[in-house]
Amino acid sequence: MAEDSRKAPASLGEIESEPLVLCEDLVKVFGKRRVLDGLNLKIGAGETFGLVGPNGSGKTTLMRILAGLVRPTAGHVRVLGRRLPDPLVAASLGYMTQLSALYLDLTARENLRFFCSIYGLRGQERERRITEILARVELSAEADRVVATFSGGMRQRLSLACALVHRPRLALLDEPTVGVDPELRRAFWDYFAQLNREGTTIIVSTHHLDEAARCSRLGLLRFGKLLACGTPQELLAGAGASDMETAFLYYAARGRQEEVTA
Amino acid sequence: MNAARVLALTSRIIRQIGRDRRTLALVFLVPLLVMSVLYVVLTESSGGVPTLALVRPTGAGSNALNGLIDRLLTPTSRLKIMTIAANEVEGVLNKGEADAALIFPADLATQLERGEHPKLQLVLEGSDPAVAATMRESVTALVRQLDVALAQAQSRASQSQGAGQTPPSAAQATSLLTLAEPRYLHGGPDYTANDALAPVFIGVFSFFFVFLLTSVAFLRERSQGTIERVLASPLSRAELVMGYVCGFTLFALVQAIVVLLFVIFILRVHYQGNLGLVFLVAILLTVSGVNLGIFLSTFAQNEFQIIQFIPLVFGLQVLLSGIFWPVGQLPVWLQPISYLLPLTYANEALRAVMLKGGDFGQIAPQLAALLVFMVLMIGLSALTVRRQVA
Repeated sequence: MAEDSRKAPASLGEIESEPLVLCEDLVKVFGKRRVLDGLNLKIGAGETFGLVGPNGSGKTTLMRILAGLVRPTAGHVRVLGRRLPDPLVAASLGYMTQLSALYLDLTARENLRFFCSIYGLRGQERERRITEILARVELSAEADRVVATFSGGMRQRLSLACALVHRPRLALLDEPTVGVDPELRRAFWDYFAQLNREGTTIIVSTHHLDEAARCSRLGLLRFGKLLACGTPQELLAGAGASDMETAFLYYAARGRQEEVTA
Repeated sequence: MNAARVLALTSRIIRQIGRDRRTLALVFLVPLLVMSVLYVVLTESSGGVPTLALVRPTGAGSNALNGLIDRLLTPTSRLKIMTIAANEVEGVLNKGEADAALIFPADLATQLERGEHPKLQLVLEGSDPAVAATMRESVTALVRQLDVALAQAQSRASQSQGAGQTPPSAAQATSLLTLAEPRYLHGGPDYTANDALAPVFIGVFSFFFVFLLTSVAFLRERSQGTIERVLASPLSRAELVMGYVCGFTLFALVQAIVVLLFVIFILRVHYQGNLGLVFLVAILLTVSGVNLGIFLSTFAQNEFQIIQFIPLVFGLQVLLSGIFWPVGQLPVWLQPISYLLPLTYANEALRAVMLKGGDFGQIAPQLAALLVFMVLMIGLSALTVRRQVA
């Protein structure tokens, strides 16, 4: 690990051999609950990686570990080739929390300005990015309204904007489409695809299985373990199923069987 | 520590509080309201028994006089008496060992024999106007009694000596002693209880409001989930605490200015001393308050629980920090608690500066104590910020 910390920031995660995210035997215990139970995961640059699993499967905990907010109880985690927490990693990370974490007493623009500033953006560049992202999430007209007056969908859009306004290399999006209507959900995923084409690696958690098909790869998470991992096509083929729901149930059942035989 | 990021946080806090008109109004108007009410309500009541230091006559023939003084003083339970040397007056008063000193001329007996009118001098410590007023009253009464007793003794002496001397006239007999206009070490005869209370308000308000605002702001940061976002960013924990400190210190300082102007120009409270020192105390207290707020907010799940910290943080300090009752007059077992409260030191320092014109050197011990509290509070809050996410 020591040699990693000596690497120049310019080489952050750009080594071919090193995946953007690397988890080895990750364990997280809260009290008596084993939220993550020996998780192994590699995510390469340029992926849109979907974390799929029911509530309580450990998706958010994994996100928080990757964001450097929580230390794993055991195992190793490296993001952009570095151990966490690391300020350089933090600077190239965008984190959208499950709650639309916003300052309700500030306007949309003021929220964005604050998050820009703590990521080191200022002056005209900052204002340009804010204008751009407000247009992208279709909040330009509401930019100077106080967030407390926003609807749920508007808050969710602003929350996404706040996570992405500094153009992170890795976007951690924790259930970005929860409580979002189908039309906006589609718009979000179109946006994710566009971001991905522009070079942002995305890790997105969801329990909408229909969204899974839009990911380049998927990890099925249950009881803190990765049940299966692969492209949507691979997972469907492996389960001999025609839709994600059936595939997920197949892998979940297989996981339980392994537990019983073990 | 990145100044731009700290500034981002600071300006966000200023913006948030600035948008909340009601909070703003409360921060600036409540102190004025409370002070005005107190100004009206305050009666000049004093607690405890004040101490009078005597500089006794020492020249020839003084023993009889001292005996007379003691006989007169013994039945008075309104005063505690101590004897000091003439050169100890200021020291004893400044250390608070006595509230006033009555100085007899060393050659009192000789002066009386020569038929002169010896002049007694009362020196008042003066920073508590209520105590000073009682002292003036008691000492004036005491001198009058002594005067009468001396006159009686003299007339008895002249009668026993026969008609060789003319007896003293009635006018002379009642004014053997003169009590000079009392000298005030601090303050003056026109100081009121408000003069003594005004300085401490600056401390109370700057500590309390900032504590309340920070704890609620930080609680919200947690319940809204924004703390997760902030901590996932390159902003360090130290920068986070620093941003909060800068933002809220600004409001506390504006509040201190408003309180000070109100106290000086509207309530017309007497004050002397360096305003810079007053603000220095306010800053030290504010930083402690912000960090105590961050620390305690982690033990609260919602705003209601924050309110429950008020008696603990505010009530205890108001009662024990020497605002209404000097710490020295509290029960002995409570006094150590007083010295664990930052407001005790702030009150001492603010009173020393505003009432006695104390300089930096004189309040250095209090400033040091406040600094220790500040560092302690920063340590506690830094610890809790780490704990919040783990």
